[in-house]
Amino acid sequence: MTTVTDIATSAPAKHRAEVATALPPARGQTFLKLVALELRKAVNTRSGRVLIAAILLLAVIAIGWQLTHLPQGPAGFDGFLGAASTSVLLLLPVIGVMAMTSEWTQRTALTTFTLSPRRVRVQLAKFVSAIVLSVVVMSVVVALAFAGTALAGAVTGHPASYVAVGGQLAGAYLTVALNVVMGAAFGAVIAQTAVALLVYFIAPTAWSLAGPRLFKDNANWLDVFGAFGRIAERDLHGMLPETLTSIGVWIVLPTIVGLWASSRREVK
Amino acid sequence: MITVENLTKRYGSTTAVHDVSFTVQPGSITGFLGPNGAGKSTTLRMLTGLTPPTSGTATITGKRYADLPNPGRVVGVMLDAAAQHPGRTGRETLLLNASLLGVPKGRVEEMLAAVGLSHAAKRRVGQYSLGMRQRLGIASALLGDPAVLILDEPANGMDPEGIRWMRGLLQDFASRGGTVILSSHLLGEVQATVDRLVVIGGGRIVANGSLDELLAGSGTFVRGLDPIGLDQALTAAGLNLEPLPDGALRVDGTAERVGRAAAAAGQILLELRQSDGAGLEDLFFQLTTPVAEAA
Repeated sequence: MTTVTDIATSAPAKHRAEVATALPPARGQTFLKLVALELRKAVNTRSGRVLIAAILLLAVIAIGWQLTHLPQGPAGFDGFLGAASTSVLLLLPVIGVMAMTSEWTQRTALTTFTLSPRRVRVQLAKFVSAIVLSVVVMSVVVALAFAGTALAGAVTGHPASYVAVGGQLAGAYLTVALNVVMGAAFGAVIAQTAVALLVYFIAPTAWSLAGPRLFKDNANWLDVFGAFGRIAERDLHGMLPETLTSIGVWIVLPTIVGLWASSRREVK
Repeated sequence: MITVENLTKRYGSTTAVHDVSFTVQPGSITGFLGPNGAGKSTTLRMLTGLTPPTSGTATITGKRYADLPNPGRVVGVMLDAAAQHPGRTGRETLLLNASLLGVPKGRVEEMLAAVGLSHAAKRRVGQYSLGMRQRLGIASALLGDPAVLILDEPANGMDPEGIRWMRGLLQDFASRGGTVILSSHLLGEVQATVDRLVVIGGGRIVANGSLDELLAGSGTFVRGLDPIGLDQALTAAGLNLEPLPDGALRVDGTAERVGRAAAAAGQILLELRQSDGAGLEDLFFQLTTPVAEAA
């Protein structure tokens, strides 16, 4: 008898009665909280972590390649930054795309939008968190580029060159942020990860190849890569209207359409 | 409390939900039944602000869902347990929601323990069975200590132990004044759990009332020592009856009327009870089949 009761009480209960805790009073959701949550959601899945690790790994490899192929004379920071940020420019927008699409492909939109029914706020928080994430990742890459430059200086004996570092950094951060927002905007418009990525990577490239043949110089008005290049160089070559139009068509317009579409899209 | 008034949803020329109205009172569990494609999920999605209705309103504690400042603290929703990110752990899934709801992290551990997932909290949801995802979904719905629960197929994929546990949990929740609406295809489970039924067929409400009321129509089961004598006695008393293969009778009438008629004729009864067994199942097909055929 004792044995039986002992077993009964010591066996771990599969379910325990719900413990009623006094919870703090309910408050609304601040925009800051939504941004923090979206930031966390971008890095708390395996795919998110793998992407960021891949970006950093590629940046390290690029800096390593740069170190083993040093030109004669002083090593320039711009070379290291350019090499290291290629992987960021290529892969970080994927995180932007996935921030938008994974809610629909993984169907977590069902939870996200029942807990936060004001969808445009949630989507805006995703854009902001994508920008914050791009700044953080870019900062790590910039630190790597600085380390690479210093190392090159020490190895070659030439003093490393840091000409116009401030301008280069401003251009690099801005370009990465614009790319990430563009990725997020495409993800918001097209809720399928694969399709959104495909369109994000192919459509602007297709335009930059076909546009000039069809429309000659007028193609510049929609050439977003040209715009990115001018922004990265911080010299618009007198093409401010063309630059603004490209950014407007490829980034601002998809952002607005994406916010509109994802706020009306039916959650299944 | 949930109030649905004249809710209609049209997709192009097809009407998925047609002028649906019902209320769910605090302290009760309402079963929301209907065949696939009858408009159950569409109604639940309109109720939770995921699908804009073509016309009509749905309110929870008097407010439209989208107007609740932090909905998770008022209403716990689980529309599809499979809709969870497979790359996150069970604990991380709940921690994200806890942060949004503004409840302490300790609440997450409490809910994991309450649904029996503490041992699996570190595993990724992708490795969970459907039953475990259901438990995680329930934990998520209960996280903000809501007054209302909206659950779509919560017993789906659960083992018998889990189903019994959930029945206890929901009845306890309702007995503390909570409002519950749940949809399910497990009719036996619904019959054992709910107080009220709302049945939808072809986008329209075809029945709405207490479980007892709705099942009362399905008659009385009676068995006598002399089946033929009992049959004659009950027929003479003006009761409609249907002989069952084993000599028993199913009678359209209350147990009291059957008992009185038998006593008046001096018939000896061996068994007299409300006709059950597939009671809800019969009712379900009776209510929904004609509509499905007409559609």
